[in-house]
Amino acid sequence: MIHVKKLNHHFILGKKGQKATLPVLKDISFEVDKGEIVTVVGKSGSGKSTLLNLISGFIRPTDGEIWIDNKKVTDFTEAEFADYRLNHVGVIFQNFQLIPSMTAFQNIELALTLKGINKNERNQITMEMLKKVGIAEFQDHYPGELSGGQQQRVSIARALVLKPPIILADEPSGSLDSETEADLLEFIQKLNNEMGITFLIITHDEEVAKIGNRTITINDGRLVEGGAVR
Amino acid sequence: MKLKDQFQFVRQNIKKNKIRTFMTILATAMGCAFLIVLASVGYGLQQSIVNETLEDQVVTKIDIHGYEEENGNYRSLTMEDIEYLESVEGVNAVTRRIQLRQFPVYSIDNFQTEAQTVVAHFPSEIESGLELSDGRLPQSPDEIVLGYHFSNSLMEESAEEELYDDQGELKEEYRYKDELIGKTIDMTVKKLEDNEEEIQTTPLKVVGILKEPAREWMQDRNVYISQGILSEVEAFTGMIRGAASAEEELDKSYKDSFDVVNVYATSLEEVKAISDKLDKANYATYSVVSEMEQINMLFTIAKAGLILVGTIAILIASIGIYNTMTMAVTERAPDIGIMKAIGANPKTIKQIFLLESSYIGIIGAIIGTAAAYLISFLVNLGLPLIIEMVFKEELPDGLQFSAIPGTLILISVGICLIVTILSGMRPAKRATQIDVLKAMRREI
Repeated sequence: MIHVKKLNHHFILGKKGQKATLPVLKDISFEVDKGEIVTVVGKSGSGKSTLLNLISGFIRPTDGEIWIDNKKVTDFTEAEFADYRLNHVGVIFQNFQLIPSMTAFQNIELALTLKGINKNERNQITMEMLKKVGIAEFQDHYPGELSGGQQQRVSIARALVLKPPIILADEPSGSLDSETEADLLEFIQKLNNEMGITFLIITHDEEVAKIGNRTITINDGRLVEGGAVR
Repeated sequence: MKLKDQFQFVRQNIKKNKIRTFMTILATAMGCAFLIVLASVGYGLQQSIVNETLEDQVVTKIDIHGYEEENGNYRSLTMEDIEYLESVEGVNAVTRRIQLRQFPVYSIDNFQTEAQTVVAHFPSEIESGLELSDGRLPQSPDEIVLGYHFSNSLMEESAEEELYDDQGELKEEYRYKDELIGKTIDMTVKKLEDNEEEIQTTPLKVVGILKEPAREWMQDRNVYISQGILSEVEAFTGMIRGAASAEEELDKSYKDSFDVVNVYATSLEEVKAISDKLDKANYATYSVVSEMEQINMLFTIAKAGLILVGTIAILIASIGIYNTMTMAVTERAPDIGIMKAIGANPKTIKQIFLLESSYIGIIGAIIGTAAAYLISFLVNLGLPLIIEMVFKEELPDGLQFSAIPGTLILISVGICLIVTILSGMRPAKRATQIDVLKAMRREI
């Protein structure tokens, strides 16, 4: 489903004339199969989040290829990436990334609006999703009025609302307490079992890493363990 | 994303910054109103001048002053020319008149007057729209038709007191009051030879009176005689057109020619084509349409200049729109980043911002148009009063300072929309180029 081939990435630092390159990912190759939960672990600064940003299409790799569902996403145009993010992957962010001026309902509905779904259908799907993530009673609350766990549930609901086959999650429990984290992990496993959604989860938390069928370890930008499908 | 949802999105965004949006709309409205009011002066004055010109003339009439010969001289028109003119497509009638080269004295009972005497071709005159108010057309050479105001100038021969009123009109009590139709009126012509005056009197029967001219200020005191009577006068004086003395005698080339020839087109649309054709055939023509063309050309240039000046106001307003949209993009950068992260197409983001600037433009144009109508109304109402009070001069009736036709609204709203959309283009493009990660980290 996800196939990363010899991925290299470096950042360019400094001003014009005094530029320096900072290698972040070096020769990364791995595969993720359909329905797998794969966790990516590593120390801070090891390049985990950069890997997720590359797979999400937020940045372009310096070298290498990323294939998803037999499509070479590294060759995508901006518009193709937008379509890919809307229809094929849902992204969950560490700090939720909800629009503060929109209610929980509107934040979830936004993805459906972008897809051009009509209002009645949007209302129905959004309500179903709010119930599924257990925050239906907070639908009219703004992000600022919700707890971290509730905000993360809104973020997950937004990522799931279009039923993407892949969810990319960057430190999904990073802002949560241990109890809420346990709820979240249970919810991820439930989604994986019931809907067959493939998860690629970036984390530095060992508890989170345990829910994966497989764990990929990255150290100093190099993949050191777990690249092959079991 | 559907257009309806994009519009909803725009409305929500505008609500967040009501004051800023209001001020931008106000600036756009002022620019639009300024453009319309400025150009409306051009339209108003053009309309007034065109109306005044058209009121004084028959729009389907083309005056033919002569035919330009190869040597550059003009000759008067003959029957051969009339036949050609009648054959031109779109011509309804060709009227031709010959004027007697002296003012005969017409007398009836003890009343008399001098009058211009004309030989007219009545069939073509009737075709061109000439009508009788009373009587019938002449059927024999000694029958005549009188102009509507002829009787007003007939005065008593014995009257010695002040005959005319303040307007220069013959006083009512000295006018001929009886019916003229069916009466015989004597036409007396003279000839001067070796300082000796000789006269000849011809009795003529009045059979018809022409209709009053359409224009209030026009006076028709002519006497319309037949070609036969003209020939008799010519025989008496021995000169072309019956000139009374050798000093007034015309060149021989005027024999068998006409003094006044007018072509009447079947419709106003035909006038231009006929004029062009006759101009090419070396006829010297004049029509109100050609005058209109010149007037309209001048005003088109003036209006274009005024619209250009007015557009500058809208361009200034566009700076406000650019600023508002740039601020909006900067403020909403994190939201745009999130939208892009969950799959918003760059095209959709661009459309949302263009829609927002267009929304400002449309609302501004609507308010500006309404304000322009109000200002135009007040200008037309108040300016004549102010001018009359300050300069003590009375303005002509129907003078319109400002007119706002539909085309001006279309042009102004079009300019306003184009300028506002263009000023929203760059901020909208900037929005599509926002880096998702930087925006989400609030680094923009």
